[in-house]
Amino acid sequence: MNKNLRITNSKFIDQTSRISFKFDGKTLYGFKGDTLASALLANNIHLVGRSFKYHRPRGIMTCGSEEPNGIVQVGKDPSMTEPNTRATEIELYEGLEATSQNCWPSVNFDIGAINNFFSPFIPAAFYYKTFMWPASFWEKYEYFIRKSAGLGKSPTKPDKDIYDHKYLHCDVLIIGGGISGIIAAKTAAQNNLNTVLLDDKNNLGGTTLFQNNECFKINNSYSSEWLKKEIESLNSFNNLTIKTRTTLAAYHSYNYLLARENLTDHLSLIEKKDKIRQRLWKIRAKKVIIAAGAMERPLIFNNNDRPGVILSSSIKKYIDYYGVKCGQKISLFTNNDAAYETAISLSKSGVTINSVIDIRDKSNSSIVKEAEKLGIKIHWRHTVVNTNGYKRISSIELMKLSDDGTAVVGNKSKEECDCLGISGGWTPRVHLFTQSGGKLKFRDTDNTFLPDKSESEQISIGSCNGDFELDDVVKNSNKSIKEFLNLNSSDYENLKINCSKETDKKNIWLLPSNKPLGKTKPFLDFQNDSTAKDVKLALREGFKSIEHVKRYTTTGMGTDQGKLSNMHALGIIAETAGVKIGELGTTTFRPPYTPLTFGAIVGRNVDEFFDITRRTPMHDWHTKHNAEFENVGQWKRAWYYPIENENMHEAVQRESKAARDSAGILDASTLGKIDIQGSDASEFLNRVYTNAWSKLEIGKCRYGLMLNEDGMVYDDGVTTRLSENHYIMTTTTGGAANVLSKLEDYLQTEWPELDVYLTSVTDHYATVSICGPNSKKILSKVIPDLDLSDKEFPHMSFKNALIDNVRCRVMRISFTGEHSYEINIQSSYGKSVWEKCFEAGKEFNITPYGTETMHLLRAEKGFIIAGQDTDGTMTPVDLQMDWIISKKKYDFIGKRSLYRSDTIREDRKQLVGLLTDDPNEVLEEGAQIVSETNKQPIEMLGHVTSSYFSPNLNKSIALAVLKNGKKLKGQKMFVPMKTKTINVTITDTVFLDKENKRLNA
Amino acid sequence: MLNYNSPIMNAKDYSGIKISEVEPIIKINLRGKNRDFITKIGKELSIIPPTDSNTSSGNEKLNILWLSPDEWLVYSNDKIDLKNNNSLEDRLFDQISKVKLGSVANVTDHWVMINLKGDNVFELLSSGCPFNFNDFKNSKGAVTQTLLNHVDVIIHNKNINDLNLFVRRSFSNHLWSWMNDSARFI
Amino acid sequence: MFLINCPYCGERDQSEFSAGGEAHIIRPKQPTELSDDQWAEFLFMRKNIKGVQLERWNHAHGCRKWFNMVRDTSNDKIHAVYKMGEKPPIK
Repeated sequence: MNKNLRITNSKFIDQTSRISFKFDGKTLYGFKGDTLASALLANNIHLVGRSFKYHRPRGIMTCGSEEPNGIVQVGKDPSMTEPNTRATEIELYEGLEATSQNCWPSVNFDIGAINNFFSPFIPAAFYYKTFMWPASFWEKYEYFIRKSAGLGKSPTKPDKDIYDHKYLHCDVLIIGGGISGIIAAKTAAQNNLNTVLLDDKNNLGGTTLFQNNECFKINNSYSSEWLKKEIESLNSFNNLTIKTRTTLAAYHSYNYLLARENLTDHLSLIEKKDKIRQRLWKIRAKKVIIAAGAMERPLIFNNNDRPGVILSSSIKKYIDYYGVKCGQKISLFTNNDAAYETAISLSKSGVTINSVIDIRDKSNSSIVKEAEKLGIKIHWRHTVVNTNGYKRISSIELMKLSDDGTAVVGNKSKEECDCLGISGGWTPRVHLFTQSGGKLKFRDTDNTFLPDKSESEQISIGSCNGDFELDDVVKNSNKSIKEFLNLNSSDYENLKINCSKETDKKNIWLLPSNKPLGKTKPFLDFQNDSTAKDVKLALREGFKSIEHVKRYTTTGMGTDQGKLSNMHALGIIAETAGVKIGELGTTTFRPPYTPLTFGAIVGRNVDEFFDITRRTPMHDWHTKHNAEFENVGQWKRAWYYPIENENMHEAVQRESKAARDSAGILDASTLGKIDIQGSDASEFLNRVYTNAWSKLEIGKCRYGLMLNEDGMVYDDGVTTRLSENHYIMTTTTGGAANVLSKLEDYLQTEWPELDVYLTSVTDHYATVSICGPNSKKILSKVIPDLDLSDKEFPHMSFKNALIDNVRCRVMRISFTGEHSYEINIQSSYGKSVWEKCFEAGKEFNITPYGTETMHLLRAEKGFIIAGQDTDGTMTPVDLQMDWIISKKKYDFIGKRSLYRSDTIREDRKQLVGLLTDDPNEVLEEGAQIVSETNKQPIEMLGHVTSSYFSPNLNKSIALAVLKNGKKLKGQKMFVPMKTKTINVTITDTVFLDKENKRLNA
Repeated sequence: MLNYNSPIMNAKDYSGIKISEVEPIIKINLRGKNRDFITKIGKELSIIPPTDSNTSSGNEKLNILWLSPDEWLVYSNDKIDLKNNNSLEDRLFDQISKVKLGSVANVTDHWVMINLKGDNVFELLSSGCPFNFNDFKNSKGAVTQTLLNHVDVIIHNKNINDLNLFVRRSFSNHLWSWMNDSARFI
Repeated sequence: MFLINCPYCGERDQSEFSAGGEAHIIRPKQPTELSDDQWAEFLFMRKNIKGVQLERWNHAHGCRKWFNMVRDTSNDKIHAVYKMGEKPPIK
């Protein structure tokens, strides 16, 4: 550490607690309370990175989130390293390792810096213009550009850190813990409002916290002393939550805000372990008070980007807060009074101040007089026309401004310095206000955009609302807060406030130089290396909209989103184009305010919590029996049960054969089940299904097809009439929630006159489906007292039964074409009933089968799966299911659409069966079907929707949708694949047991 | 013999929060629109179904939670042997559904009830629930249906820092793991 | 993320709701008597205006009730909510 640069009287830095860290491999030391930036400056390191385009040496410019240059890569671990972090925001911790970005081989010797010498040839949009021709060369250019472009390096392994989310509801949210935020917080808390105060720094107080200047007093104390007492008094409120290290990232409509809290980033590597790193707060506030403060503006002049050029207010914070001198010989360059506060602070700390260069003619404010009293030299109506030094500023050149400020006059003089503080006035942080949809207004006196109209319950107070002087800040904040919270009085009514008042203002967006503009480098956007020249070039080339200029020149498009550069870009554009800034408007400030980590965005929704999973009551049995699972919606369904080394095909072939030869058992618990009751239940079913329901007998089941109003198949399933006004409807697994919601919609909005009630009972029942020629024998063992004769219990009927005194519903229905039963029992007993059936079936080689076998078996029978063989464009007629459309019913959902001109077209895509000429060739699902092989291009007539090798038929079978398919039965078609063309024949959709003999076998 | 299987394993204790599944208890879903329905339920259960939104009513045996203007969830306080124990369901079905007053559906195993107890229960819920618990917290008997980590839940404020949370059985394992994961960070 | 005042449950986060498109499109009582064009008018045609629009919303993860909303699509301001079957409170 350079002893000369650290003063010893800072109250905010714990100089007894030394912290070691590494920067670019070198071990350095700082103190607890330092940021990486303040520690580097204390070590006399200004140069931290290279600029994006020209690879110019760049140093720390600010002390906050607006930092454009001091961005570093933190950490070496390939799963934890983080690029593009701002050195000004990283709190120093033991073990911190940071490296410079965008330089190779090192920040001190960077090959890319050669771009700087070519810079006259790299104007705005150089890359766009140069690499566009010839278009085919792009791939070659890209390789080189990608290598040299970009800032930090992203991590290459999964993030090991833990992040989470939390919701927070409050009456008042205050963003920013500076003086106005603290006044707001205390006032709100005193009035019993549930209040939350956020600040992105590690402690509250903003810049007033270290404002120890005779010119700024409240009730005769230093403003800092007064504020400290106010902050202490906040501890007494338990209805006030204070969150430091918490950055407001986004302000959405209805006062929904996202804030990122850093929980461990400031802790040592050991302390961080196993703790949540960052938490994203999802805040809903009744009222929001924005007290986000203001940013100091830079000044735009030739070579204003050298390491050692720092915002004047930041120099003040480094000396007054961190106790760090940014240099030993400092010059200040300003257009307003703020730089004089810095000058006084530096002077008191024993730093040599060369002079203050002020573009104004004079100033009569008390702070300027105070500076003069201290003997600080002031160059009135002067400007800096150039800076010298490569890796660190070494001198500045100044000249007198002409009367109108557009040119420089007289002789150039030179001033040696190792740091230049610049101050171009203040920009209120209106980003959050505009994110919420608020509109801005422009104030000409100091060229600021200020909050104007807003739709949400919010106010802006303090300097983000354009109050830059202490008395205005306190008085106006107090007034606004009272009005906003409907209060008659507050603690802040009769404060005695002394402060320096600015008497003179002057602003020049682009400061004149003795050289022509083309020969200078007045940087606007320090991170993206765009200069005032680039903006002017864009205007000359015809760009008018600020949004276009931004994208063409990349001004304001870096990781800092142009927090420093935007106002000057606007100013120069307005001036050049001869329009008013207020009319030009600003670019859109989009969330997040500062970059968010992906970790914070996803929170705990990673790994097992990435998506919701649903399990059936028999899940553990499947797992124990080696099942592979398939995701069906959110469900985990048993897919197949491989034995020993079977692959999926082998397992499915075995399962499919067993189910038809003897017995199979399937977990069908995932099917949606809706309990329907009410005196109009039958009429309701008539209206929602295509077929007729009124005459369904009690105890009978019926298959139904549900359409959308557009006539397309939506869902299907079997519904059973349990009693006079009581039905149980089943839906597809994936369609359950949507079907229930759609049916509720009709009941609530279109047919409120119907006396029908729906209740989802999907999870109440476990469903065990046993099928195959021996299923009857197995069921008779499980439920001995149930009469299973075809007469008593025919296909498509249901019985109530008891298993061990537990009620269950047994349906004789079949999705495989086999004789089969579904036992529905309440879920707590599902696994036990399953095991009971499995035991009873052992002598019949009962085989558990999964969804893949189920799909194969139903395809053999030509049964559709809604969502696989249909895609929202298939009518029942297209599916060759005309039999299910009632001709007698006056209306049902989708009926009218079945004879629209488009739905009655005969050449629509229709469901057909396909057989491959080679019975061993299995088609790929999704493969296209064509009628010729020699023509190109050729019309695609349809595609394969389901395809399997059937072990029961010993050949390949497939279902497909095909244009005009119904009429093409028996014809040959082709399925072209990457390496061959497969010959197929169009067939009927039913491949097995066309007579349905097996149902009653 | 059929064995009873609960979807969730053991109760867990964390700092200021205890999470446990409560089973088996009876749960019945009621739907109905007219005054007769309310009166009949009141007569059968000796509890009037609440008509104010987000509230509940109950006695030492049963609770009735408001779910919507025409829907309620009844659940028992005491654990009950589910085998051959359908008298409440049957009685209500006969008195309501059969006489066309509304609907009665057994949802005992549709929902899994998880009890959350301790000073930090609302801390846990705030990790995944967009609902504003500020008033709910202090109003005994309050009911809400909302999302917890993207899963539908019904929450019944049984007592101060003593909540019963209902989640569909198929989601219960997932939510249980999520709650246990979140609870360790409180 | 809106804060929606469900007419039954009160103010809730938008994530509990699902949107159901334009409101007051009544399903014809006698669809079979309509021409293709008339049916298409009901089936497909929606206004999708910039400005104050009447919409259907469902409190899907709450009471599951459908209701109507008066919302300005240009600034997402919800002017009112009202129950199914009720007339829009403002125009």
